[in-house]
Amino acid sequence: MVDRVGAWRRRRVLAGMMGGAATLAAPGLLRAAPSGKPVRVGGTLSLTGFLAQTAMLHKIASEIMIEEINGRNGLLGRPVEYVLLDDQSKPEVARSLYEKLITVDKVDLIQGPYATAPILAAMGVAQRYGKVMIQSSMGIPKLQTYDRAFPATPFGSEPDVTYPNVILDAMATFPAPPKSMVILTSKFPSAQFMALGMKAQAEKRGVKVPLYLEYESGNRDFGAIAARIKEANADFLWVGSLGLESNLLLEALRKLDYKPKNHFHLYPAPGPLAVSADGDKALCSTFIEPDEPFMSRPGMKRIAAEYKEKAAKANLPYPTIDAQACGMVAEWQILEAAVNGAGSLEDEKIAAWLRKNRVDTIYGKARFDGPYNHGDAAQLIKQVQNKEWKVVWPKELAAPGVKLIAS
Amino acid sequence: MPSATLLGQALISGVLAGGLYGLLAMGLSLSWGLLRLVNLSHFALAFLAAYLVYELGTNYHVEPWWSAALIVPAMFAIGVAQHWLFDKFKVNELASLLITFSFAIILEVGIQLYWTADFRRYETEYATRSLKAGPFYIPILDLTLCLVAGALAWGTWLWLRCTYVGKALRAAAEDPGIAAAYGVDHKKLAYLLSGIGAAYAGIAGTFIALIATLAPAQIWAYLGVVFAVVIIGRLGNPLGALLAGLLIGASESIAMAVLAPAWAPVVSFSVLIAILLWDPEWL
Amino acid sequence: MNANGLSRLGAVVAIGVLGFLPMARLPAFYDSFLYLVFFWVSLSTSWALLSGFAGYFSLGHAAFFGVGVYVTADLTTKFGWPFLATLPVAAALPALLALGVGAIVFRLRRLRGELFALLTLSVTFVIATIILNTPIDGGGGIFMSAVPLPNLMPTPTGTIYLLGFILCVASLGIAWKVVHSRLGMGLFAIHDDEDVAEAKGVPTLRYKLIAFALSAAIAGAVGGVHAMYVGFITVSGTFELTVPLYVVLMSVLGGARSWFGPAIGAAAITALLYAFISGGEAMVGRAIVGVILIAAILWLPDGFVPAVKQWLAKRRRATPPPAIAEVAPVMPAIKPVSDKVLLEVRGATKRFGGLQALGGVDLDVREGEILGLVGPNGSGKTTLINVVSGFYPLTSGSVKVDGIEIGNLPAHQIARRGVARTYQIPRPFVNMTVLENVVLAATFGMEHSSPFKWGGGSVIRDGGVMSDTFDAAHDPSVGVRRRHLPRRRGRSASEIRDEALHWIGFTGLAGKEEALPAALNLHERKFLELARALAAKPRLLLLDEVLSGLNPAEVDNAIRLVRAIRAQGATIVFVEHLMRAVVELSDRVAVLNEGKLFALGAPREVMRDPRVVSIYLGKAYAA
Repeated sequence: MVDRVGAWRRRRVLAGMMGGAATLAAPGLLRAAPSGKPVRVGGTLSLTGFLAQTAMLHKIASEIMIEEINGRNGLLGRPVEYVLLDDQSKPEVARSLYEKLITVDKVDLIQGPYATAPILAAMGVAQRYGKVMIQSSMGIPKLQTYDRAFPATPFGSEPDVTYPNVILDAMATFPAPPKSMVILTSKFPSAQFMALGMKAQAEKRGVKVPLYLEYESGNRDFGAIAARIKEANADFLWVGSLGLESNLLLEALRKLDYKPKNHFHLYPAPGPLAVSADGDKALCSTFIEPDEPFMSRPGMKRIAAEYKEKAAKANLPYPTIDAQACGMVAEWQILEAAVNGAGSLEDEKIAAWLRKNRVDTIYGKARFDGPYNHGDAAQLIKQVQNKEWKVVWPKELAAPGVKLIAS
Repeated sequence: MPSATLLGQALISGVLAGGLYGLLAMGLSLSWGLLRLVNLSHFALAFLAAYLVYELGTNYHVEPWWSAALIVPAMFAIGVAQHWLFDKFKVNELASLLITFSFAIILEVGIQLYWTADFRRYETEYATRSLKAGPFYIPILDLTLCLVAGALAWGTWLWLRCTYVGKALRAAAEDPGIAAAYGVDHKKLAYLLSGIGAAYAGIAGTFIALIATLAPAQIWAYLGVVFAVVIIGRLGNPLGALLAGLLIGASESIAMAVLAPAWAPVVSFSVLIAILLWDPEWL
Repeated sequence: MNANGLSRLGAVVAIGVLGFLPMARLPAFYDSFLYLVFFWVSLSTSWALLSGFAGYFSLGHAAFFGVGVYVTADLTTKFGWPFLATLPVAAALPALLALGVGAIVFRLRRLRGELFALLTLSVTFVIATIILNTPIDGGGGIFMSAVPLPNLMPTPTGTIYLLGFILCVASLGIAWKVVHSRLGMGLFAIHDDEDVAEAKGVPTLRYKLIAFALSAAIAGAVGGVHAMYVGFITVSGTFELTVPLYVVLMSVLGGARSWFGPAIGAAAITALLYAFISGGEAMVGRAIVGVILIAAILWLPDGFVPAVKQWLAKRRRATPPPAIAEVAPVMPAIKPVSDKVLLEVRGATKRFGGLQALGGVDLDVREGEILGLVGPNGSGKTTLINVVSGFYPLTSGSVKVDGIEIGNLPAHQIARRGVARTYQIPRPFVNMTVLENVVLAATFGMEHSSPFKWGGGSVIRDGGVMSDTFDAAHDPSVGVRRRHLPRRRGRSASEIRDEALHWIGFTGLAGKEEALPAALNLHERKFLELARALAAKPRLLLLDEVLSGLNPAEVDNAIRLVRAIRAQGATIVFVEHLMRAVVELSDRVAVLNEGKLFALGAPREVMRDPRVVSIYLGKAYAA
């Protein structure tokens, strides 16, 4: 049975790919089609291995963006060709593959991989060859020490200070502002980094932290941790989670007949938490959601629709575009703007242009002249309402008619 | 100092969570102890079963128990087919480890090709129900898992201990020549046992679908701890495997209740090392 | 120039060319890829030192590798050490860790393979968790971009390449040296039968510890370099369980009992994993790798190198080997039994839990004597042999050989004091040829030497170069002559081989030198036991039922052989049920009953003693 379904799916994927090619060929946009020798952009993603969960969304986002760019004017009037390799979720493989892309395949430009460890491995290579590298998923900005590395995601240069204060600001508007907060985090570097920041900022603003716990990334059993959270019974629960850890934790809490009063989750898998019975009113970090006012940003409607179609074809469980996928979209937007703006494929000129100019991305206007080439922080809060993620904070970016609900 | 309620609750949660370790360990222990085959693909089979339960439940609204009724026999067949390969090529212990490692990689890829690498979660109402006993809560699903695991372990143990077939199998594990003296067709029994081991992976997978994270790379997440459980429980002893699973689950959970949770692996593996160094007779 | 010299020259040229490859300024990817090949070669070769050679299957290689990674990461970033200066520490700390772990686990009474695998795996988890929860890492990872890399080569990747290459050559060199030394021979013997290896004089504990420490040191140094290569260190990335699994896979696929087998496996699998890196085929590629691996293991279960060797051996067998060595002439002169006591047992007691196997045995055996040891089943005969040979430690009492207390010495030290034994059910080293079995006994018996001394190892590995020693083998006096020499240090490989060939001929196994024990019949295996015992040139030989299971003609043959052994000056204690042999051979007979010495005296008198008859046949019969 599995085989038959698999074959059927392969056909569907094949059909999808042909459809994609057709879109590419169709003169949908009335611009001069790019011509000449393609500009080759190389990058790796963790298509296999333990980081593979999100690779597919990045891959789809890249495919969409390459079609977009080629549907406009390409890079300097030349079409873009994406050379994608699989780093197997291992930084040592990522390093060698970026060396391959730069020294053997001799690509013109590179794109960053996904997740902190492969990004840093790739950054070292980029630095040795002076290549510009734009990346979207490194949550610890201060590690980006290379002056030609640029972030596509608006973390700001000190998200461990700025974002906790966004959360605390939102909390302060609750009818009964929380006075105590349990902080629980995975020992995943970027999650732990934010948890430590959250603790420091909360205490600074007079919110007590009666319980701060770190668990091993990939922890399976949350029973005992749930019992401790229940016993601490704080007004707010902050979870530095990845993947399904938040689902497992909330289920463990419910098994103890305990519902946290208000709960925030850092980097959970968005789909499963939204549909979970325990996920209702859960808060979460984000940068963008497919709603107004974001849908009015240039290209967003088209990209979101196309993403939905491709993600469903690829059998992704949560085919809605999210902040992760948008990161990759922004990477391409920045690359396109910088190359065409600098009028050159030379990394030095591209980097110089980026440091001096602002770029319109799906995340809004981005600048790169702050510390570690970061610009303004634009990390938002979303909430599960009626099994859907809605941006609720800050108020001016909240979805139309949607308010932050405290429980 | 944590309260008595907290400790008691952690103990209950831990023991029950250990049931999954025990259940996963049982099939592995049988084939390792009695057939001298280390089946690393056991975990991949369990996750394949879990994904199938997820698929049938989410897309076709089949109750997990009915799915299990379909999947477990299929797993049995896979176990038999695997043994055919081992038997045909006279695979030894070490080679079986490496072959099944490769087989697990192939299954991982297969799962990823069909279900993608993205996280999957099977939402059911079973996952969060509890019984209340005094100040303590007993999650029904985990309890069911432990009872099923207990029944299987006890049944298998009795079968191996008390029946002629079981004796022959144990004798054959010591020395295949002796099995012939029993007048028992050792080969047929080996197929049966291999099938049972894989069927246990199917049962474990059903529970994994209900309580754990589904992602292809999760296949490897249980390897270390279950491997430990198998050996502590004594190879070929399903009851020992279950008890060892409960012990590890409990020690991890107590550690998480008392210390920083991230220290838990040190506690459970130190318990293991201590037991191994103490070297009790039953080991 | 002969073939050996040619291959040596080839190796030197290859090392030179590969060492300076980064000078050619190839695209960095090639340096990088080759570095990763070297990385896996070093790891899998180091794993094989203990796990492949001695058969102690470790799943904890990531622990030693990981400690090396963190030593370099921490010393460079937190203490400002120069990178190269950290590498010796990155090697030393894992070696110490291995010695510590080994010193505890190798003393376990019943350390089976899977227990060792589990213990090493547990150590990995414990160390990973400690590093994760302490400032060694703390959970945030260690970023090494600010650590300066010395300019050993024109490019940074070239420098890493060179370091990886040096470690790779060093690991292969160490593995080669081990295989061609006493250490390797001892490890191979431990792999096949550790108790027997110990009884033949192999210091098993020390050898295992040395191999473990070497293995860990290489893994640690490799980790130190790799930290620099990766640049950002995390606990989950470093202590990944698939690392030891791939290491095992590579070693086994190449051939874990060969010094260069793991290297071949590592190179093949690394190349295979890089064959499918393009984004479109990554997943399917991974499945193809899986299928190729399965096929390789099914068809080459012992690995690539042994398969090739077998194939070569088959081709070589086209020319039949020359017949060698004949049965040595039996020396007619029978030395008188001296008055000097060689073995002195006083109050020897051995208890197993509540069971008393020996209850205070007193026994003197004089030099040059043949003492028959008889008694009903369970009377303690074999236990006495096991106690004297050191297989069991004494519970109380004393055993002296030549006036020196040996009762609580480890078995290998007893063996080196000139005590050799045989086993009732022959226990040859099953993966070694007859010649290798005997060479091992000759190498380790009655001699102290450094484990790295050049010994008979080269005989074992280079089975093809025997012909130049055949002349010596034809001279039956070689071994005999040497037997009377005092302990000599540093015998050459060919001397030891000559002796071994002599004893093979002496026991009538000539022509079977290259056979594996599985190809021998019971009679031949019993004689192999004797050949091994004799090769150790024992002063005291303990024979445990050498005659059981033999037919009458073979028994006669064996009796002649035992006489011949004694004629060369050995003192013999033999356990036997066959009364004809006891009476024919023994100068005196000792009867054990219920763990106590029951009777002692001339054979015919003792056997006629009604008390002795009664314990054999029951009291009623005697009365």
